Amino acid sequence: MAYLSMGEAHRRITDYLNRFSDAVFSQDGASLKQLLSLSANSPSLLSLADALNVFQDANRLIKQSEKYAQYGEIIAPLFRSLQSYRLGNLVDTYSAFEKAANAFIQEFRNWESAWALEALFVVAYEIRVLAERADKELASNGKSPEKLKGAGSFLMKVFGVLAGKGPKRVGALYVTCQLFKIYFKLGTVHLCRSVIRSIETARIFDFEEFPKRDKVTYMYYTGRLEVFNENFPAADHKLSYALMHCNPNSEANIRMILKYLIPVKLSIGILPKDQLLEKYNLVEYKNVVQALKRGDLRLLRHALQEHEDRFLRSGVFLVLEKLELQVYQRLLKKIYIIQKQKDPSKAHQMKLETIIKALKWLEMDMDLDEVECIVAILIYKNLVKGYFAHKSKVVVLSKQDPFPKLNGRPVNS
Amino acid sequence: MMNNGAIAQTLSPMDPNSIEGQYAVDKGQPQSASYVPSTTGSEATSWIMHRVDNSSSESTYHHDHQTEPPSRNVPHGLNGTSLASSSTLGTASASQDYGGYASYTNPTDPYGYANTGYPGYYNGYQQQPNHSYSQQQPNHVYSQHQPNHAYSQQQPNHVYSQQQPNHAYSQPLGSYQNTGAPYQPLSSFQNTGSYAGIPSYPATYYNPGDYQTAGAYPSSGYSNHTTTWSDGNYANYTTHQYSSYTADTTGAYNSGTTAATSVHYQQQYKQWADYYNQTEVTCAPGTEHLSVASTSNQVNSVPGVTAGYPNSSSQHPSSFTPSWRPESTSSDLPPLQGAPSTSGAYDSCWKQGVESSQNYHASPMQPHFQTSLDSKTSYDNFQEQQKTVEEGPDSQYAPSHQVPQNYQTPAQTVSTLDTQRVSKLQIPTNPRIATNLASSSSKTNKDGSTTGAAAKPAYIAVSMPKANDKVFSNVAADSILKPGVFPSSLRFYVERALKRCQDHCKNDPQLAACQAVLKEVITKATADGTLHTRNWDTEPLFPLPNPDFANKENSQSSTPVASLPKYRSPSKRSKSRWEPLPEEKLVETPVSVSNNSVKFGGWDRKPLIGNSESKVDALSDLKFSLSEQKTLSKSAQRPLKKQRIADAFNSAENGDASSDSDKEQSLTAYYSGAIALANSPEEKKKRENRSKRFEKVQGHRSEINYFKPKNAAAGNLYTKRASALMLSKNFDDDGSRAVEDIDWDALTVKGTCQEIEKRYLRLTSAPDPSTVRPEEVLEKALLMVQNSQKNYLYKCDQLKSIRQDLTVQRIQNQLTVKVYETHARLAMEVGDLSEYNQCQSQLKILYDEGIEGCYMEFAAYNLLCVILHSNNNRDLVSSMSRLPKEAKKDKAVKHALAVRAAVTSGNYVMFFRLYKTAPNMNTCLMDLYVEKMRYKAVSCISRSYRPTVPVSYIAQVVGFSSTSEGSDQDPVGVEECVEWLKAHGACLTADSNGEMQLDTKASSSSLYIPEPEDAVSHGDASLAVNDFLTRTSL
Repeated sequence: MAYLSMGEAHRRITDYLNRFSDAVFSQDGASLKQLLSLSANSPSLLSLADALNVFQDANRLIKQSEKYAQYGEIIAPLFRSLQSYRLGNLVDTYSAFEKAANAFIQEFRNWESAWALEALFVVAYEIRVLAERADKELASNGKSPEKLKGAGSFLMKVFGVLAGKGPKRVGALYVTCQLFKIYFKLGTVHLCRSVIRSIETARIFDFEEFPKRDKVTYMYYTGRLEVFNENFPAADHKLSYALMHCNPNSEANIRMILKYLIPVKLSIGILPKDQLLEKYNLVEYKNVVQALKRGDLRLLRHALQEHEDRFLRSGVFLVLEKLELQVYQRLLKKIYIIQKQKDPSKAHQMKLETIIKALKWLEMDMDLDEVECIVAILIYKNLVKGYFAHKSKVVVLSKQDPFPKLNGRPVNS
Repeated sequence: MMNNGAIAQTLSPMDPNSIEGQYAVDKGQPQSASYVPSTTGSEATSWIMHRVDNSSSESTYHHDHQTEPPSRNVPHGLNGTSLASSSTLGTASASQDYGGYASYTNPTDPYGYANTGYPGYYNGYQQQPNHSYSQQQPNHVYSQHQPNHAYSQQQPNHVYSQQQPNHAYSQPLGSYQNTGAPYQPLSSFQNTGSYAGIPSYPATYYNPGDYQTAGAYPSSGYSNHTTTWSDGNYANYTTHQYSSYTADTTGAYNSGTTAATSVHYQQQYKQWADYYNQTEVTCAPGTEHLSVASTSNQVNSVPGVTAGYPNSSSQHPSSFTPSWRPESTSSDLPPLQGAPSTSGAYDSCWKQGVESSQNYHASPMQPHFQTSLDSKTSYDNFQEQQKTVEEGPDSQYAPSHQVPQNYQTPAQTVSTLDTQRVSKLQIPTNPRIATNLASSSSKTNKDGSTTGAAAKPAYIAVSMPKANDKVFSNVAADSILKPGVFPSSLRFYVERALKRCQDHCKNDPQLAACQAVLKEVITKATADGTLHTRNWDTEPLFPLPNPDFANKENSQSSTPVASLPKYRSPSKRSKSRWEPLPEEKLVETPVSVSNNSVKFGGWDRKPLIGNSESKVDALSDLKFSLSEQKTLSKSAQRPLKKQRIADAFNSAENGDASSDSDKEQSLTAYYSGAIALANSPEEKKKRENRSKRFEKVQGHRSEINYFKPKNAAAGNLYTKRASALMLSKNFDDDGSRAVEDIDWDALTVKGTCQEIEKRYLRLTSAPDPSTVRPEEVLEKALLMVQNSQKNYLYKCDQLKSIRQDLTVQRIQNQLTVKVYETHARLAMEVGDLSEYNQCQSQLKILYDEGIEGCYMEFAAYNLLCVILHSNNNRDLVSSMSRLPKEAKKDKAVKHALAVRAAVTSGNYVMFFRLYKTAPNMNTCLMDLYVEKMRYKAVSCISRSYRPTVPVSYIAQVVGFSSTSEGSDQDPVGVEECVEWLKAHGACLTADSNGEMQLDTKASSSSLYIPEPEDAVSHGDASLAVNDFLTRTSL
């Protein structure tokens, strides 16, 4: 650290204090925001941190003037947080920042208008990011990472401040999204439910009035939740909404949305173009799509196996696995078409033997009972119209539309 | 979490260092010291803490005072402060205070509070020393109330520490600032030297510790009310209390709701203001009465009090103690009880009056009793009152008696505890803890408090031991029922009997008669030596005796406060998880369900029945003390269970609340005005909601409540470990650190027991090394179990005891893994899922620590469990993604994964093939899913096949017949399959060859899942009577 004179340090601190109280006084959310965003590594804050490390008695400065002292509860811990941040001690940074944030929302509550929303967003963001980093530090020290959880409960509190009526409600969705991020990271997604309920049941506030970026994030996360629940129509709706409103320039976000939207679309029978997969580097789905097109069971299984880790991590593995039935349907349809070409009159009677033979060509060695079972399931799930005659081991297909398309509906389960 | 946050906030203005300092001060040092920072500190927040200190200290103080007569004046003075305010300021102060409160709800005007009411208090105090004592009463009262809402169920010792979380939470909302200002005067006041005499006080105080920060807040408000209350108007009091409380809590928790609540709150205040106006006049005499009554020692200062208290001067200091005792303890009130608590709050006060009177009675202080009682009821006809007590107050209070009991018990708990705990606490700790230790040790030393406790930091209970001792000695007169001498089952038996009496008889004579009979039964049992051998749990209760008999037997029963409250019937049995040893369960469960009534029952009865009754009391005391500690350790150890338990408790509690509130309604006649409001259904509902909310927020509080009963089963040891846990708990609340600083190794038990066989008994106290088996014996025990031919129940019992011994000795090695694996397998074999789950979760931890075992095998089981039972995609995905690569090559794991695939795709053929080829014990887990899978398969078949399917084929694919591929059909399997299909509503026909066919078209609409035959209404077949009986006869 470069040498810093006491006077300079003093100057920087008072400067900061002035800026802070001015920002509050003039209700300037934008400049207040800058004063709070720790992890943005802005040079002014970093130099302030240096100054704080030189000039140890910043609290005295705060108390010196009534102008500053009224925000002492925010600023004092914030200074400590800054100091620790500068020293790389993230756990302390987080703890101090949480104190400052607590004091901040206390103040925020008293401000009638929503001018400080921007600043509050920064606080919410910082809380989450600092908690994540603090947890990393804790984990590397062999301690149990718990800060993110703490951040979660803090943000719940913030949400409570915003969720009521009034102009501040606009900010609720941002906090919700931060909460989602925390909960997904912690794997405690069941906690999302209460927040979602409060967002979705609010009659007084139209969802569309929230800022777009928050809406997109919100739809993305709730869409993911629906994927977990295998509620495909809802997932499709939410993720499509997110995709539609997402900034077309932020490809990373689009990719994230597509990562979930594609499996959802696949399971309701809608296949993406290769071009799309390539554009967003989602090639892991390529073979899956291919298998669906061709009725190639082997390819599907290979594709699943190949990317098993990835699919498991993102949570779409089970969704993709369920595509198997559609692949069988495709395969039967192909057989049906071939039979029709050879002998249209008998095309609707498909011998089990034929199916087994087809599967054998795909190196799927399945016996009679198994295939019979699968055919039964296909009929049961309405992927094939017809019935199975056990005695003669023949699938009797309906003459009308024997292989109904899904058309955006999920497979019956 | 919140807790932490809140604390943080409080301290935020200060330097980290100063925070530390402050904490330290609070913890260990004399009060004066703790106050110093507060005076100097400019922060409102810091003030809060102090303020809290004050209030809590006051209560503590009393105790100190009691133990140490000479210093009494000082404490009285302290108390007096608040009292003075009420009396001197009269209406004005009251209304001001309220105003203050209102503002506190509204963060915008936080500071109004400070200037008005509080200074007045203190000034007043100094001017009017006479009244000082009376204030005490209010103090206690408020403490009760406060706890009511928030903490009610906690035990005395812990009360404070546990409170903290609540308050902490609420603080962030901005209530702090308000409180801060008012306190300044207080602190200065203390500095003036009134406190000087009592260095120990802060320490005591601190044990409660951080709680204080939060705790004080509500309590301050209460103290005001309390004053009023003591004037005799409970109705108002209750309501008020509730409403105000709501405001606090809601404000704290839910910013969203604040607006609504605050309105409510203010209204309440207005009401109160009015109330105060009224009370002022009447109040004065009342207070004075109070002061006389309670202050027996101080009598000198109250020369002109009222004529109504002739005996006051004659009272001994010692007698005095008990009356206070209960009140202070009352702060433990269960937080969760909505409706009951309201009434309970004042009831408890009342109760205490009774109680204390009882105590006096026992120790020739009868006059005293009268006074106290009167003070609480109406002042006018105090003599008459006594007579009328039976009808009036009693009947009124009956519904809420359970609550008051709660209060009282804790107090005694402490005392008993002390007696039992030999005052040695050898916990190697770091200095930080050490401070705390001091406080806890104060408890330990309470025994000695009778003599010289004054010097020690007095915890709430300090004075109590005396009272208790008295009780004990009385009891001990016939030492029959001394705790420890008797098997615990007997204790329960006695309680059962007595409770029944309470249920059935409303007049005390009959109860007394029961007691007499009981006594006889026990004496007889002792005489013929069956006391310990008899199975008291199954012992039938004697028929209800004739009350006349009792009268003869027990002249004591004529004690003034006669009527008995109605109790909930104790016979409810909790729905418990499958427990292999119902016998033990039996001992525990009744207590847990009805335990409130049981314990309190003891207390309630006490006033009625003098000596003989006190036996029971002694027992219940014992229970409480044990449970208290246990609770702590529980909460420390099992954070995960909190929620569940809380819920369970919740429901139980709600039931309570509703029944209680019904009774409350009858009270309305008596207290027409405010109480009506309190009892309106709307209000009740609110209260219930509130209490529910608390449960959720504060899992561990309720957990504690829940556990109390269980632990009540009682061993008598209070040992280092429990206290260590307590300490750690405190610190948890405090700063969430220091737990790891405790030297657990030093606390670990080294077993010395050499017996291989040992029955499992859930520990209710710290383990006794002489009953714990060391590792080598445990190994033998495991072998013995593995080779044993006995049934699962026996093995399960043995394994549980082995597990327990391993746990208490903190042995975590391959033996531990082996034990859990063995147990898990056995449990799987018989389908004992709950036991299996316990083992599985332990194994997971053990494997994670790198201890070798059959990892793959159990990974497979785990997977199967998730697939087949939790049916939660997210869990499934996450446990799949956690599997290491090599695990996926393992046979068992592969099998489990294949099963998963079969289940998710609904491939029944595959599923039943895997079922037949399952390695290890995968079959056992799959067993539990077979029924579901079969049903799915048959409904699938009946939907897709036409026109018929031979049953033999179905039998084969859904796993009924042992042969495969339809070669030779297994007639037995087909038979079974036919039965099964019929039971599920399938339509069967016979074809020309006589072979059974499934008519698929008809069946597709007629299939259903039959109710399992062994279903029981309460949902847990293992609790069915038959099942139960078979197990008891084990």
